[in-house]
Amino acid sequence: MAFGLFGKKKKVQGENGSGEFHSDQPMALGVMLEETVRKHKKKEALIYEGKTYSYQDVDQQANRVANGLKALGIQPGDRVAIMLPNIPEFAFSFFGIQKLGAVAVPFNTLYKGREIIHILNDSQARAVITLTNSANLFNEIKSDCPNFEHLILTGQRTLVFLEPDGAVNVQIVCGSSTFESGDDAFQKLGTVFVGVLNELGVEDAWYKHQGAVRVGGKKIANIIINEIENLYVINAVCFLDTLHTDDFFKVIYVTPELKDKAVEPMTSVHEVTGALPSLETFRDIFTRRLSEELGIEIEPGHLKRDEKFGYEKNRAVAYKT
Amino acid sequence: MAPWRLIYNPKGDAADVVSYGAALAEGRIVGKYQLSNEELSDAVVIQSVKRKSIVAGADVSVDRKRAAQENIDVAFAPRQGRRGAKPLGSVFLSELMSNASPRFDAEERDVDEPAALLYTSGTTGKPKGVMLTHRNFISQCRDICAHIFPLYSSDRVVLVLPLYHVYGLANGLVAGIFFGCGLSMIPQYSPQTLLDSIREARATCLIAVPIMYNHLVTLSRRKKAEIPQSLRVSVSGGAPLPAETLKEFERVFDTRILEGYGLTETTSAVSLNESGEKYKPGSIGPAAPGVEMKVFDESDREVPDGNEGEIVIRGDVVTRGYWNLPEETAATIIDGWLHTGDLGYRDEDGYFFITDRKKDLIIRGGYNISPREVEEVLYSHHDIEEAAVIGVPDKRGEEIVKAFVVLKEGEQADEKSILEFCNQHLTGFKVPRSVEFRDSLPKNATGKVLHKELRGESSDEDRMITREG
Repeated sequence: MAFGLFGKKKKVQGENGSGEFHSDQPMALGVMLEETVRKHKKKEALIYEGKTYSYQDVDQQANRVANGLKALGIQPGDRVAIMLPNIPEFAFSFFGIQKLGAVAVPFNTLYKGREIIHILNDSQARAVITLTNSANLFNEIKSDCPNFEHLILTGQRTLVFLEPDGAVNVQIVCGSSTFESGDDAFQKLGTVFVGVLNELGVEDAWYKHQGAVRVGGKKIANIIINEIENLYVINAVCFLDTLHTDDFFKVIYVTPELKDKAVEPMTSVHEVTGALPSLETFRDIFTRRLSEELGIEIEPGHLKRDEKFGYEKNRAVAYKT
Repeated sequence: MAPWRLIYNPKGDAADVVSYGAALAEGRIVGKYQLSNEELSDAVVIQSVKRKSIVAGADVSVDRKRAAQENIDVAFAPRQGRRGAKPLGSVFLSELMSNASPRFDAEERDVDEPAALLYTSGTTGKPKGVMLTHRNFISQCRDICAHIFPLYSSDRVVLVLPLYHVYGLANGLVAGIFFGCGLSMIPQYSPQTLLDSIREARATCLIAVPIMYNHLVTLSRRKKAEIPQSLRVSVSGGAPLPAETLKEFERVFDTRILEGYGLTETTSAVSLNESGEKYKPGSIGPAAPGVEMKVFDESDREVPDGNEGEIVIRGDVVTRGYWNLPEETAATIIDGWLHTGDLGYRDEDGYFFITDRKKDLIIRGGYNISPREVEEVLYSHHDIEEAAVIGVPDKRGEEIVKAFVVLKEGEQADEKSILEFCNQHLTGFKVPRSVEFRDSLPKNATGKVLHKELRGESSDEDRMITREG
């Protein structure tokens, strides 16, 4: 050990701590973690946003991941992809995969569709652990990746930009029995949006499945469908006008590469047709097409008493510092 | 069936975007409130905002002061709970974990089985999965880190480099756990966040890339009083670190910088240029203990010191090969020697110097970019007849991607539309920064595009053919 190397100015404490507690032979990484835990159970291992996790915590969390993956049917030797930034869940996932004896496939969080498809197919990863807001990205490519079975989500990094008259937000809360399946819901919503856009003069809008409505390669609307109990909660944004994203990046620091990712190439009704439709026009066309597509009646309404209570509570949380 | 309600909210705010759907859903979830017995029918909300708005997930950091100044409305979407709404066809990690036992005895694995596949670009198109075994990772900790930058359990290491990259993964996360260190995780790099993290964690070790050292030096000139003095040792890698940055950083932060060299295929570091008496400017240092490093000629014979050749590496950190690519593996690892594709020489003191790259690989901020992968995207553009990309230095000396394009006859695509097209199909760092239009591209006798000539270097055609063939 080159102990003298850094001793000139700053002495290191606990010089016997340089890994000598490990057995002499090479060991599997899951075993390596367990050896460290035996030596440093209570010692801090991870520090993240003011929270610390001891070695024992990391071990237990990794064990939970290993057991959780096992319950999904992941076996030793299977590949599990990780597309996460540096958050504790990365460490839990990586070492959970090691404990299980599976193979971790961590890859760049900036990768886009075709790059991800290549990696998932080449590695034949059966599961992906990623951020909640990447769900759409993976759902969109799932049909291109036959081995990919389990989408495992963590963290919350949603980022939505809205401007007056520029973007319209559509939310639908309905019984899941309204649709035959999740795919059916995506398909019907896609059909409604493409129809609305056609009517607004965007003739070449297209929708494949799950997620984005595009014109050429550019996104013009985005659909997210969440499920809770027996309900679907559908959240969509459609761009009537082009966003001025530079203003938003004044208040969120992102590296140039990340910025590029956050702003996937977008277009808008205004950009494609040269005319900016009013929100009322959008509303009228959308409600008509939605009611036709789903075979339902739609009447003007408002939040009921129970809902108002939830609305105020959610607003308070949204603005809490 | 009861008619749906249309709730129209044309002048809403950011909080409305978070709240309407949640309120409508919560109202319907059995037993949540039950303040009244009103019938709650299905609903559609159509809304917009009265001023610029950001809806941010709980884990996004927003400068709220600046937002107030810019008159931007910011609302935070809550972190979804275990029983919260979740995207169709998914499972929450937290749910998976809370239903699982915290006990698990690690599976005994053959240490020569892969622990991870790390995808990296070569010159020939799509990223390849580099198989890194348990033995590879352990060797990086025990044979290399322990000797050239030993970490101790008292160390607090800043993990700012992405953990999906070999450098952050092998030298940061895995080595940090091996030595029992405390690891401070930074999910989203900004110069200020990094500086704050060093201070708050009283970090003793920083593992970073040159651009970050550069940012910290720039930041330190403005904020002298706030410079933490806790760093014991700092490691730089991924690209050459300018000597001035190194000196200024060491002085201001009262630390030492060690410059490492390594590849994904070698589980990160294999050599280190240590600052101080042993430092040689421009060198990647001598080979670390536990690895053999040599310079070979075209026929895999070692060349005398001072002569240029290809740098080759052998040792327990060297990959078993590329996942499912036996031919590429056989062409890269010959008799255990990994052929790095980097050209260089060794001096009489055993220090290695890199002079050029054998492959046409472009390296931007430590990430490999395959010219082929970018070229294939360009070739898929309707108006493009021929395309080639090279790396050119930008103002700071970092490599950026430049494209050369020959358009099909009569086609009119301009630079902007070609760059937009690339942006749709490639990660940002791979997208060319500029396009130069040519009537034709320089080629060798077999029709292969001469990237060297595009880089403005002299080209000896015969040599090119033997080298690339």
